[in-house]
Amino acid sequence: MDVTLKGKAAPFSPPRGFFPRFDWRARRVWERDLVAWLKIYKTSLLLNFGEPFMNLVALGFGLGTYVASLENVSFAAYIAPGLLASTAMLGVSYDMAFSGFAKLHRDGVYDSILTGPVEVESIVGGEILWEISRSILYGSTFLTVIFLLGLIQSPLALLVSPLMVLPGIIFAAPALVVATLARVEDQLFYYFTLAITPMFMFSGIFFPVENLPPLARNLIWFTPLYHVVRLSRGLVLGRITPDLWTSLCWLLVVAVLQLPVLVYFMKRKLLS
Amino acid sequence: MQPSVSSDNIVVVKRMFLLERGNRFLETNAVIEARQLQKTYGQALAVKGIDFSVQRGECFGFLGPNGAGKTSTMKMIYGRTSISGGELYVLGFDAKRQMSQIKGRVGVVPQENNLDPELTVLENLILYGRYFGMIRQEAGERARARLDFLGLEDKAGALPHELSGGMKRRLIIARALLNDPEILILDEPTTGLDPRARHVVWQKLAELREAGSTLILTTHYMEEAARLCDRLVVMDHGQILARGEPTGLVEEVAGPYVLEINSSLLNGDHLVPDGLVRRRETVGGRTFLFNHDNGTLLDRFEGLKLRAGQYLARPTNLEDVFLILTGRSLEE
Ligand SMILES: Nc1ncnc2c1ncn2[C@@H]1O[C@H](COP(=O)(O)OP(=O)(O)OP(=O)(O)O)[C@@H](O)[C@H]1O
Ligand SMILES: [Mg+2]
Repeated sequence: MDVTLKGKAAPFSPPRGFFPRFDWRARRVWERDLVAWLKIYKTSLLLNFGEPFMNLVALGFGLGTYVASLENVSFAAYIAPGLLASTAMLGVSYDMAFSGFAKLHRDGVYDSILTGPVEVESIVGGEILWEISRSILYGSTFLTVIFLLGLIQSPLALLVSPLMVLPGIIFAAPALVVATLARVEDQLFYYFTLAITPMFMFSGIFFPVENLPPLARNLIWFTPLYHVVRLSRGLVLGRITPDLWTSLCWLLVVAVLQLPVLVYFMKRKLLS
Repeated sequence: MQPSVSSDNIVVVKRMFLLERGNRFLETNAVIEARQLQKTYGQALAVKGIDFSVQRGECFGFLGPNGAGKTSTMKMIYGRTSISGGELYVLGFDAKRQMSQIKGRVGVVPQENNLDPELTVLENLILYGRYFGMIRQEAGERARARLDFLGLEDKAGALPHELSGGMKRRLIIARALLNDPEILILDEPTTGLDPRARHVVWQKLAELREAGSTLILTTHYMEEAARLCDRLVVMDHGQILARGEPTGLVEEVAGPYVLEINSSLLNGDHLVPDGLVRRRETVGGRTFLFNHDNGTLLDRFEGLKLRAGQYLARPTNLEDVFLILTGRSLEE
């Protein structure tokens, strides 16, 4: 009568920590997301991808003909890696906030997973893995497009794909925290209006923030998208400067620090 | 076979358990032991220290009105909510510390349907099986077998919102059976179903019981409890008010017969013959006279010229037990 755990370790002991687990159960949660996504991937890709792509065409090649080159590259080449970073941010944030809200509050998806032998830590692990996958997918697809448009200037650009792991974590975690806190779906829009949209506008995608007043500059330095944009642009344009390492470390630290916060809020919501 | 372990010697259970840490407790027939089990939400006490034990292979019922604490108790058993006080052992594992071991061995039909709306019926089952570590092929085979068992084989490709309420409930039961659970926990499995659908579910649950599964059931339908349960407890306000076998409980608490009669017809106690009525309850304008002989009692009321609808003479049932114990009706 026992469940066959083919090739799997004995039932796990339950460490009651605050860090996500990336175990095989987390991969099952990831698998559930994949199966659901494969049914709608065309729409999903089109929606998440269409907007930044049109931004690139309209601004880069439309407005760009009126804008003198920025930092010695064409306007289109300047904004392309930034828009790449923003596709990852937008795709991950929208998906995690809205699907997370539905799974938490409407459909009881996490509830049903928890009646099986899966803990909150593995659910969080699975959702993070899934958003990392999305982030890599969106980043890589956009990378292919800007390659075809001739806007890539260095083979280092290939490193953009693995870099997308970081925005996957960094934008998924707060979006899901917001989803645990929201009572109605509309409240999610506060997060987008107050956090995501300003980041999109002011993280150095369209213009260098170095020319802004010091206060604004310092503020922007603390937002994650700014660092993702810098790294993406550095790799795509092949301009590696020492301060890019600072950006990388900053993102790593933020990613790691966010995870226990997310587990805390998920446990608070799911295990009353 | 050792004698079964009652809740009195749970200390022994614990000691033996410490010796055989991690092993299932095969020496006893009790698959669930609860002692002074408590659940608090903030300041509110939802379960106020209850004791019960469930034997392997039986169907054990929890009856009680809304808010009695049935779901809270179920959730503690299947590890969906923390235990606020007392002891709870499930299959020999301490529910406070070893929930992961328990979770793989129980099947759960929660009160609220929580099917994954983005997945088809079959996918709902297969991916659920995957959480238990089944390989894809095994999960697929089991999923199809469970769909057959619950008569849903035609619906494998449908999405949950395309199912009727009864089909959804059956699908949830199919999902709960996927891991061949040693204990099946059913929180109001037939609420909202029409009588035919309810009978289908009862039939399936009876088959499972025949096959030796342990069932734990909460319900608002006394017919369901009477049909399925070997033993049951009646809860209200987080406490157990009575326990026993359904027929024994009815006999003991309510006696054999009851005459329901509109209270307005009985203005004045003098009308109620004392010797015949062993107990009297009034709920919502209806007076219940529990007695040993409805015929004789009715004869005494001849003067009232009772018309149909004003009274009902019938054998007692679990609903009456409930009424007597709580002064409330079961479906309230
Ligand atoms: N998550 C929760 N937070 C706060 N209070 C809760 C929560 N869940 C249940 N309660 C309270 O605990 C008490 C018992 O609820 P429970 O769901 O266990 O009752 P029940 O017997 O299952 O009722 P019903 O027949 O309506 O399903 C109720 O007073 C309820 O308001
Ligand atoms: Mg309930």
